[in-house]
Amino acid sequence: MDADEVRAKLTGAGAPGILSVDPFPGVAARVRFSPDSAAPLFPIVRDALGFPHLSTVGGIDWVERYEVFYLLWSDTAKTYLLLSADLDAKAPHIETASSTWPSANWHEREAWELVGIGFDHHPDLRHLLMPDGYDFHPLQRAFKLHEPEELEVKVRHV
Amino acid sequence: MSAAQPTVPPATKPMAPAVGPGGQLPVLSPDVSFIEIEALRSQQFLPAAKEALSALVKEQAEGTLIRPLFNWAGRNSLFPLHWGLACCAIEFAAAFGARWDAERFGVVPRSSPRQCDLMIVNGTVTWKVAHKLVTLYEQMPEPKWVIAMGNCATGGGPFRTAYSVVPGVDKLVPVDVYIAGCPPRPEAMLDGILRLEELIRERGA
Amino acid sequence: MSDMWINMGPQHPMTHGLWNLRVHIDGEMILGVDPEMGYLHRGIEKISEDRHYNEVITLMDRTCYVAGMAWEHLYIQAAEKALGLEPPERAEWIRMMSEEFQRLASHIMWYAAFVQDLGLMSPFLYGMRDRDLILDLFQSYTGGRLTYEYMRVGGVRNDLPVGFNDRARKVLDWLEPRLVEYDRLCMGSDIFRRRCDDLGILKAADCVKHGVTGPMLRSAGSKRDIRKDRPYSRYAQVDFDVATAESADVTGRYLVRMEEMRQSIRILRQTLDWLDHHPGPVLADRLPRWLGAPYAPIGREAYLLKRNYPKGIGLSAIEEPHGEACAYVVNEGGEHPYRVKFRSPVFANLSAASQYLVGYHVADIPPIMGSVDVCVGEVDR
Repeated sequence: MDADEVRAKLTGAGAPGILSVDPFPGVAARVRFSPDSAAPLFPIVRDALGFPHLSTVGGIDWVERYEVFYLLWSDTAKTYLLLSADLDAKAPHIETASSTWPSANWHEREAWELVGIGFDHHPDLRHLLMPDGYDFHPLQRAFKLHEPEELEVKVRHV
Repeated sequence: MSAAQPTVPPATKPMAPAVGPGGQLPVLSPDVSFIEIEALRSQQFLPAAKEALSALVKEQAEGTLIRPLFNWAGRNSLFPLHWGLACCAIEFAAAFGARWDAERFGVVPRSSPRQCDLMIVNGTVTWKVAHKLVTLYEQMPEPKWVIAMGNCATGGGPFRTAYSVVPGVDKLVPVDVYIAGCPPRPEAMLDGILRLEELIRERGA
Repeated sequence: MSDMWINMGPQHPMTHGLWNLRVHIDGEMILGVDPEMGYLHRGIEKISEDRHYNEVITLMDRTCYVAGMAWEHLYIQAAEKALGLEPPERAEWIRMMSEEFQRLASHIMWYAAFVQDLGLMSPFLYGMRDRDLILDLFQSYTGGRLTYEYMRVGGVRNDLPVGFNDRARKVLDWLEPRLVEYDRLCMGSDIFRRRCDDLGILKAADCVKHGVTGPMLRSAGSKRDIRKDRPYSRYAQVDFDVATAESADVTGRYLVRMEEMRQSIRILRQTLDWLDHHPGPVLADRLPRWLGAPYAPIGREAYLLKRNYPKGIGLSAIEEPHGEACAYVVNEGGEHPYRVKFRSPVFANLSAASQYLVGYHVADIPPIMGSVDVCVGEVDR
């Protein structure tokens, strides 16, 4: 499966909001889509293109915008497919993929927690790796690491 | 014995010491025997006997018998808490395998903190687990010791700058022995345990 | 009867690491589970953004501490694609050999820990004994037992020592009959069979739906193995079979891992034969100078590096001992990666925990979770 085939199949199935389909090293194609059309697009990619397995969901902070990418695998075509969408830098959010691919649940929780991308209609969007009440998004570029300060931990006995 | 001598109430008349079979005093030392028997006839028997016995244990047996015995037994049968934090836990497990066999030093991991007297912090401590680590430490009975195994537990290791990592477990609990290495080899861990045994021998339990 | 939630973890003999399985039970019956992760979240993806490309390898060993070589291989492939570099042929074969030895070591470690959970003590001692032989081999050419820092962008750090291949063959000759012994200890044990058969069933369709990969998926009859489906390194040039089972339960996962060990030995024999006859360089020459870890470019060199070095995105996927692992490395110029994202197989396998735990009894949790082979380091990263 290559980029032309992916493009033809997407057009044939009437997929909305496709911005571009480019060749990409290591995968069949990279499909860039508009985040508004995510909800109708995901089932089409799963059923019409035949990508039932979602490997991962990740987010990237490009400072002037956010990017969210989905890595999918097809058992019949034996290839990966990359979906990617650009999100607004102020309030990045996109429709959840977990109604189409249940495995997206935890990956989206992680992307929300670490990168700060909101997933609308997610069934269970809460902290996964950091403790509850942690208000930062460490994988944003503005979050800097530094040597730990001298600190005194007070153990409270209850 | 002078400081711990129980005061005999003035109303009670001193009596002659009772003599056991064979004309010998049936006790450890003359002082104690006198008090014991003296108090036997009085109303203050229980408090006096208690005080005398505790004085005996504290000053004689504890220094020469009970405490060394306890120390010897304790340092040769350290029971570490059975848990694995990160990479060092794999080397911790390897030390109990066939090649190193840590159990020959009396080290037997137990799963309940109530049965343990040694906590081996074998990996990176994050802020999320920090209060659970302290709770486990609090649940262990005294006397107890802590070994910081590996660079992460000692000072954060390669993850020192990370936003979620405690830079050294000594910020949370008192550490007795630090083992360097990332991860330390099993023989380094055994060496740390033997160092702890030396420490217990010198410092006392 | 009233239902309640109990915590199994973070410190619990079942967990094999630091995580918490919250179980919703009614009597002995499991109604629901909620794994609570993050007790070992060390921010590896964030620290990588502050490190040179070669320095990230240090973190990769610690990401999955039972499969360090596999994770090094995963990252190195993605980083090389992002930087546009090619390793020499011999380095590729050495990497493949390292990954297969790591698979053997990881599966033996799993066997030792899993069977001990079921109450059989001797497999732990046998397993640790045989695993140490493989770690000795690693030590002879990397210097480390668990954390190797062996692979480099553009090859591997050093060639194999003299006489390594013969020593490796001796270890394989020793291991092969041991696998039969392992099998006899477990499959011949009535206790083992009664505790494992028909437990934790997850059919192939559900596996795909919930992102479950690796031995769990193959135990349900699927033949998905990235080494076959999308061959990387030199897996296309060696001959091996994909291990599968049909039962989709704990015993099936056990059988798949046992068969995978046999296949690993098969691959290793072919790899060692190739390495016998093909000496050569193991590190590409003409690597950019700033790839040396302690060296940071300054001044004009830094300026040229920022302007002229090709940008790129590297994506790689390997069949890690636990399943499908992916890496996504973004190179935006400069000596640090811009963003590193990893896909951990155990992360996905654990997220489906309610699918294979609900409906069984509390006493079934240790065998079922043991068969998942949890490595918390790569889940939390």
